[in-house]
Amino acid sequence: MDKIIGLLEKYFPMYLEGLWGTLWLSAVTVVLGTVLGMFVALLRMGKVKVFKWIADAYIEVLRGTPTLLQLYFFWIGLPKLLPFLSLSDTACILVAMTVNASAYISEIIRAGIGAVDRGQWEAARSIGLSETHVMTHVILPQAVKNILPALCNEFISTIKGTSLASVFFVGELMTAYKTVASATFLQMQSLLIAGVIYFTITFTLSKLLKLLERRLTVSD
Amino acid sequence: MTDNNIILRTENLHKSFGKLEVLKGISTAIHKGEVVSIIGPSGGGKSTFLRCLNLLEEPTDGKVYFKEQDITDRKGSIAKFRQSIGMVFQNFNVFPNMTVLDNVILAPTLEKKVPKAQAREEAMALLTRVGLADKADEYPRKLSGGQKQRLAIVRAMAMHPEVMLFDEPTSALDPEMVKEVLSVIEDLTRSGMTVLIVTHEMGFAREVSDRVLFICDGVIKEEGGPDQIFTCPRDPATIKFLSMVL
Ligand SMILES: Nc1ncnc2c1ncn2[C@@H]1O[C@H](COP(=O)(O)OP(=O)(O)O)[C@@H](O)[C@H]1O
Ligand SMILES: [Mg+2]
Repeated sequence: MDKIIGLLEKYFPMYLEGLWGTLWLSAVTVVLGTVLGMFVALLRMGKVKVFKWIADAYIEVLRGTPTLLQLYFFWIGLPKLLPFLSLSDTACILVAMTVNASAYISEIIRAGIGAVDRGQWEAARSIGLSETHVMTHVILPQAVKNILPALCNEFISTIKGTSLASVFFVGELMTAYKTVASATFLQMQSLLIAGVIYFTITFTLSKLLKLLERRLTVSD
Repeated sequence: MTDNNIILRTENLHKSFGKLEVLKGISTAIHKGEVVSIIGPSGGGKSTFLRCLNLLEEPTDGKVYFKEQDITDRKGSIAKFRQSIGMVFQNFNVFPNMTVLDNVILAPTLEKKVPKAQAREEAMALLTRVGLADKADEYPRKLSGGQKQRLAIVRAMAMHPEVMLFDEPTSALDPEMVKEVLSVIEDLTRSGMTVLIVTHEMGFAREVSDRVLFICDGVIKEEGGPDQIFTCPRDPATIKFLSMVL
């Protein structure tokens, strides 16, 4: 216990910085992943067979291979593909995390849209709304209620998922742990601190999520 | 076969769902100002027929003409045609994510670019006509079934359609609310609106219709004036159906 307090006294700022990195990485991943996921979901639900097929394959591949493998793939591949951009490790990892999240999020969006009553589509079309307006004014606003809680869940799992990025030392919470552990040789103690921080964040967020869900159902 | 008075016409309309052939060749014409009721046993294809008229279902074969323009040829914008063909559903399908007023002005402001103030004014006039003016700023979840259905009618009317399609508009209502909705529809027919209505309210059909179609097994088995259909039906299927529902 003494050792933990000692660690905290000395390395707390480092953990905080790591936590900040984790939250930042997760938030950007989920936001960009949502934009990309939306696009993939629309392709998947659209009428063009080829796009549908591509979107399906995209999702299957991303869900059927390990996230860590995907991180390596982009970490190795992106700088080779775009050498003139001289991408940082963090940028490569961010792209990888975003692409990975977009596969899961596109499924969330598709399910959320699919849960909107068929009659809403028909009514919106029957008054002569364009397909775009049907989506933007009638379907999506209703789908958001289904999508939002699931997206928050995705954010929570992304927070845990970003720990994989420590393999590439991109400066999130697990990277902080690794740094502290190698500087102090207090492996277990420094790990425990990271664990407590992860748990506090995810636990708080999932409680907040419960509240949000209750709000959304009340307004129905 | 051009007639300026024809609003909707179908030619040998077929619709199959997979192997199930639901419509087996329906040809008919709805004239301006006409009120046509569709009756028939459940599963006979009445809803499917109605939904083919505004292409919510795509016909497998045959043609649908709106004012003698082929709308099944995929040339014009379907949304444009639908603006002129109002539809009211059994389950109301009002938009729960917006207020009563916004339900009504959505399509006019978005698709016809009617200025908001003007759209609101028109919407309020329509809502007043059906007794919903005081609900304008409520969300639909606060409305009864009958009120929702009246809202759905107003939402369709706000686009100034040339024909209104009703698919069993009172079937999902509690009995005490049937009347308020039927009287709104009757009002519409009196104002000269062209109406096509699938209904199980035989008394209503007999009273308001100019013509009655009996649809069974995917075809129009019999059609005629309401008095003829209800007092001396000729087709055995019509006789059997009416003996069960009357
Ligand atoms: N989307 C659909 N997919 C498959 N079958 C359908 C679909 N819509 C209707 N049907 C079938 O078509 C037949 C006619 O249905 P419908 O037009 O609703 O009849 P009605 O309105 O006269 O009761 C029924 O057997 C119904 O199950
Ligand atoms: Mg029906």
